[in-house]
Amino acid sequence: MLQKVAIVDVAQTNHSERLEDNIREIVFELVKQLLDRLGIERSDIGSMISSSSDYFQGISCSNSYYYDAAGANLKSGSKTPEDSALAFIYGLMRILSGEYKTVLVVSITKCSEVPSVHTLTNLIADPFFQRPIGLNEVVTAGLQAREYMDRYGLTKEQLARVVIKNLGNARNNPYAHRSGEFSIKDVLASPIMVSPLREMDIASTSDGACAMLLAAEEVAKDLTDTPVFVEGVGWSANSTFLGDQDLLNGSLPLAAKMAYRMAGVKDPLQEIDVAEICDTTSFHEILWLEQLGFCRPGEGGRLIDEGITTISGKLPVNPSGGLMGANPYVARGLIRIAEAALQLKGEAGNHQVTNVNKALAHSVHGLGGQLHSVVILGK
Amino acid sequence: MGQAVAIIGTGQTKCGNRSDVSYPELIFEAVSMAFRDSGLCPEDIEAVVSGSMPPAMEGVHNPHLYWVDAMGAKGKPLIRTATCGSTGMSLAHTCFYHVASGLFDLVLVVGAEKMYEGNPQGVMATVADPFFQRPFLAGAPGIFSLQSNEWAHRYGLEEKRVRLAAAQLSVRNHDYALDNPYAHIKTKITVEDVLKSRVIAYPVRILDVCPASDGACAVIMASEKMAKKLGTKSAWIRGVGYCGEEAFFGEGDKVVWQSAILAAKTAYKQAGITNPLKELDVAEVYNPFTFQEMLFYECFGFCDFGKAVELVEKGAVMKGGELPCDPSGGVLSTNPIGATGLQRVAEVALQVTNKAGDRQIPGARMGLAHAMGGLDQFNGIMIISNSL
Amino acid sequence: MSEESRILKGYISLPYRWAMGVTTTRFFEEFKNKKIMGTRCPKCNRVLIPARSFCSHCFQKIDEWVEVGQGGTLRTWVLINFSYEGQPKEPPYIIAIIDLDGASVGLPHFVGGVPTDDIEETAKKVRIGGRVKAIWKENREGNILDINYFQPID
Repeated sequence: MLQKVAIVDVAQTNHSERLEDNIREIVFELVKQLLDRLGIERSDIGSMISSSSDYFQGISCSNSYYYDAAGANLKSGSKTPEDSALAFIYGLMRILSGEYKTVLVVSITKCSEVPSVHTLTNLIADPFFQRPIGLNEVVTAGLQAREYMDRYGLTKEQLARVVIKNLGNARNNPYAHRSGEFSIKDVLASPIMVSPLREMDIASTSDGACAMLLAAEEVAKDLTDTPVFVEGVGWSANSTFLGDQDLLNGSLPLAAKMAYRMAGVKDPLQEIDVAEICDTTSFHEILWLEQLGFCRPGEGGRLIDEGITTISGKLPVNPSGGLMGANPYVARGLIRIAEAALQLKGEAGNHQVTNVNKALAHSVHGLGGQLHSVVILGK
Repeated sequence: MGQAVAIIGTGQTKCGNRSDVSYPELIFEAVSMAFRDSGLCPEDIEAVVSGSMPPAMEGVHNPHLYWVDAMGAKGKPLIRTATCGSTGMSLAHTCFYHVASGLFDLVLVVGAEKMYEGNPQGVMATVADPFFQRPFLAGAPGIFSLQSNEWAHRYGLEEKRVRLAAAQLSVRNHDYALDNPYAHIKTKITVEDVLKSRVIAYPVRILDVCPASDGACAVIMASEKMAKKLGTKSAWIRGVGYCGEEAFFGEGDKVVWQSAILAAKTAYKQAGITNPLKELDVAEVYNPFTFQEMLFYECFGFCDFGKAVELVEKGAVMKGGELPCDPSGGVLSTNPIGATGLQRVAEVALQVTNKAGDRQIPGARMGLAHAMGGLDQFNGIMIISNSL
Repeated sequence: MSEESRILKGYISLPYRWAMGVTTTRFFEEFKNKKIMGTRCPKCNRVLIPARSFCSHCFQKIDEWVEVGQGGTLRTWVLINFSYEGQPKEPPYIIAIIDLDGASVGLPHFVGGVPTDDIEETAKKVRIGGRVKAIWKENREGNILDINYFQPID
């Protein structure tokens, strides 16, 4: 990093199956909440990067709808759609350039307002080859899980343990809306949705929004006693056709390598104190942990079996409950970063992990996990 | 402004009806050209930025994921930028910040559109919110005509005179397009032709408006250190400005148009420009509509408010005039929306490095590129020069 | 005043006309003849299916057409057991990635001709590494669904 950039503060909605309010109102309330808490005005914001998805909003050029609601009237801004973690990274670049001292990053998705995520992610597939056979994100997840389980012998009980952990953690997260104390029997009783994955293995979708203020170091220190510094970022894309991808070894290792190198992390399992990753399915939490270098390929099941990823384990993963707890699709990446920041600030309340000095946030979208990002945060 | 950023290569496809190729193939064409122009290859590129209009335009969600292989972006950091009509400029800005941040030395940016594959006005109508504005804003012709009529009225501009100036701009752009190998519409027209053409949203006529085009544009940007190392002819980014407004069309003043004024002001300040008409040698102004283009001249300070018609009548914005505008033929002749703003950047870069072929403005050293988007909501500007 | 917040319903359905390009067009013409064609990149030697006009690894245009096998092995598969708008078939149905003989990349498509009501039964017939072959429709229109499905032949 050329200069230090910090997350000053974060705000989230109470994510929900369905938020009653209109998108503009939700964004306004959230941004206002953040500004008021910091005691600043919208005139103090240098630039605004937002993230939403036109197809997930039913409004083309989706950011035009809430641009001024996010405090950006007569200000510079941009939209990094589809994955809000990438919007965060773009915001970071604007501050690193020296042109802006503060950048507001905002993301919102109301999955309740649009067709099923399965219909919408089917539209990601090209119209000639992959769309007509019904490929979408969850179907591809099934293909990946099958390949992995056959190769490495991962069991449905191991998958269930991830579900139980995350929904259990979500009980202590006031922003999550799906939670509960479940048994392996409960999870295995849910119907197969895309074999070998069951309904409970798959994170459903939500309505939710997140806002975050980034600032150059000197400004951040003025605004908060607990600035969270960005130590490394990495992101990487994979090929479009599923047949061209190695479904079990995609672009996440490259994204992770870039972030670790920037952050000077050599041994992730030792150096990272908490990780918020996109558990699009229970299986994917396991796969992503391997590709993030927390264990070798095929060993991901061991992490959950040995309790390593529980909130009191060596590497707590998704103490917030992850996507199982709340999944407002596009906003989820920024929420992972927000949750990681709360851990570092010591503001994660009942789902606070002890002794956090370095946190990792991960996001992903596309068939098979076509585009991943990794953000390393520190104190 | 952080690290200095250079444009070291560009590529544009021939625009128009490109049903001869699939979307990814169109992208591949532009990207390959940019590699040839810069002498680089995919392995050299450290990050990629891409963008286009709302995915409903081509009916493929997450187009950046569809284009990965065509851009050589596998295994690379990739971000999509999308801000409606201003996308092309926002793309250039995103690429600029990738380099200015110090994180990357060589970045590829690609903007594209295949408007023949979708329903452009149908999609643009969905930009307006469904509760209040969607039934009324009739896509782009509706909004821009509302704005132009208000402008003409406010400055007491006689309709006949305004229409004539607009027609002159249309003839100018169509003429210039004849020298641009990438342009879509290549027709010789007269002022009479424009004045007599079919009304689509009064008083705007069909020859006052842009076509819907397929096309792709790719640009490669480099850090100062990398540009010097490579020794390629560089165009330098001297100013970057962008501004957005309210979602509700009726809320802001679209005549003394703040987002356009502020975007230009910010870019001018960074570039040290105080008298744009004098100091700029060329301008590629986003002009899907002739009438609206005159309003941009005023917002960008080329003349006072209400005086753009005079500027046109005097020939100041034609080749040979004080500030030739749109020597490429502009958006009026070629509009693959996701690429369009980026084409403005590419064209100005070509102009200031003396690579613009038959459309070269002799001696051009500093130029302005511009794009606009949303419901008359976003304006973005880039000032490009052949020197730091 | 009421505190009610209502819902406005609507549809966005827009017509599309996707250009295939010359290569994809030819690929589908061959499909009508029950041929599965790929293109080979002379630099990296991969045979890409469906046939492509450029190799994205070597980043160059390619035009050497190669026919690949009617059969191959299953790389992975999934049984779909839920509904959503715009689905190609009524569930349950099976999707897989098939490594066709002679191709360097996989092809996603349906697996059929096997029971789908009981996943245990399905898993007996559909296996990773199992051999499958293309079953073509009688009336072919030149699109990806001209292959009805791939049938396990072990």
